[in-house]
Amino acid sequence: MEEIIFGIGITALAGALATIAGAAEDTESDIGSQGDPNSQVQLAPQMGYVHRIFNKAIAGEPPAYGLWVALGAGLAWAFMAMQMNPILAIVLGSALAVFVQGVYATTAYLGRTASLAKFEQPVYIDILKSMTTVTMAHAFVAVFATVTMCHLIISALGHPFPLPLLGLIWGIALGAAGSATGNPFYGKERQYQHQKFGAGVPISASGNIVRYAEAGERNSLDNGFFSAKLGGPASGICFGLIVFFELWRTVIFEPLAAGWGAIIIGVVAILIFAIIDRYIEVWARKTFGPYVVPGATEEVSS
Amino acid sequence: MSALGGPAKTAGVQPPTGMGLVISIVLIIIAFALAYFLLQIAGLLAVVGITVGGILIGFGVHFVPVGGAPAAMGQSPGIATGVPMLASGAGLAGLFAGAWAAPLGLPIALASGAIGGGLLMAITCTMVNIIYIFGMGIPAASGKVDKDPITGDTFPEYKTQGTEGHGLPFISWVGGVIGGALGGLGGTLIYLELLDIYQAQMPALLSATVEQIAPIAISLAGVFAIGMFLVNAVLVAYNIGGTIEGPHDPKFKRAPRAIIASAAASAIAGVFAIGLLELVGVF
Repeated sequence: MEEIIFGIGITALAGALATIAGAAEDTESDIGSQGDPNSQVQLAPQMGYVHRIFNKAIAGEPPAYGLWVALGAGLAWAFMAMQMNPILAIVLGSALAVFVQGVYATTAYLGRTASLAKFEQPVYIDILKSMTTVTMAHAFVAVFATVTMCHLIISALGHPFPLPLLGLIWGIALGAAGSATGNPFYGKERQYQHQKFGAGVPISASGNIVRYAEAGERNSLDNGFFSAKLGGPASGICFGLIVFFELWRTVIFEPLAAGWGAIIIGVVAILIFAIIDRYIEVWARKTFGPYVVPGATEEVSS
Repeated sequence: MSALGGPAKTAGVQPPTGMGLVISIVLIIIAFALAYFLLQIAGLLAVVGITVGGILIGFGVHFVPVGGAPAAMGQSPGIATGVPMLASGAGLAGLFAGAWAAPLGLPIALASGAIGGGLLMAITCTMVNIIYIFGMGIPAASGKVDKDPITGDTFPEYKTQGTEGHGLPFISWVGGVIGGALGGLGGTLIYLELLDIYQAQMPALLSATVEQIAPIAISLAGVFAIGMFLVNAVLVAYNIGGTIEGPHDPKFKRAPRAIIASAAASAIAGVFAIGLLELVGVF
């Protein structure tokens, strides 16, 4: 019984760490403009819209986070093998991994922005100075939380994989969850804030991203502030739920029915998410109704 | 016809060419023969298992609704990320679950792997719709079909003008879960096959007990399973041209070509994976 309660506690803690990691990951990638919306940041100067948005599409978020978390986990694992205290080892490992992220971010911004020179896009040194450190800080939170979660899964729950391998797996899953959930909110809702709410961005509007803020030109810190309100937390909940359900069904229900208990609970969880998804899909169709051409709405209202 | 003489590009069916088919079958036979030569029947069975795992991953990726960059702007339906990234995210979550359940036997480990991948996709797809609906006020609309084959919902009237659709219709949600489950199943199968081989070979090679070599065997099998995942996911990404809406997308009909390519790639990579220790033994 005591073992099960311990397992539930670790599961909850791992889920909470994953939630923090997911939120930090998405906010980091939106400040750095790393995910798919980066296509618009890269395209904008080519369409004549010079901007002050950070631009560091080093790789897709999943492989990038796979690298950074595996690096952090690998270094922490090496430090622990040198008899270092696990907490100190994880902090040091994550910090060193974040320096690698910082190097990539710097070279990516300089390289990608310099490639836009013929479209008169300047390289802003103040952007590089002020924003690289902010992405690094968010990346540290994401990497540290994920490596700690992996360490808990191994040392407390007994997963057979070594720390660096688990770091790679959960790093990739972290990036997948963060980019899937957070990207549309940053890409559509923030970069195309001047487009009509409740509709997709017409392909003809591509590249015409919002470049001005309440005062002066918009930069990526403004975007981080915006993403942290919904895209980040939603990505956190997504990754947190994935980790929590994955661990919870195994820790609690694996002893039942000779191991099949965990699988049955997994199927039930999938069915519950199917019902939630279908419910909100129908709710949206009823509440928002069919698409109306913007001009047509104005005529009706006048 | 392209300048290089490849097959004409059509939206739907693109069957494998005769030459591609023959080369793939020859490569698979060579790989099976090499596996038999290296480790006799155990090696052959392992490579067959790895090939089946690779086919499952390759086929599974076709189900996953990937919208790529346009999906991030609500310009096309699907999940806003790349094919290999999402598929490997789901499959690796399956591998995590499958490897954990490995001591409980093959059926439970495989089922656990499949559920692990399916659960990740179920949660991710639901959260995508939550963001689209509650964050952006956009209902789901497919660009490839007028009607959802499962629910019967119609899409043309909900689609924003000037886009190819947006959000995740229910058929794409179901496709995502099936794709994640197949990926998790395939990844776990590859892992278990390799683990068996390494656990059988390593103790003699390193003069150690099974318990002593367990961490190395598990790590090696896990790394190769991840590698195999990425090989198959990237192959499929080429086959579908980077984006697909799910099983209702006409591009889904291109799956046979990817299955053959996945089988050939997995068989060859599988021989390298099981032959690795033989190579180490030589030196």
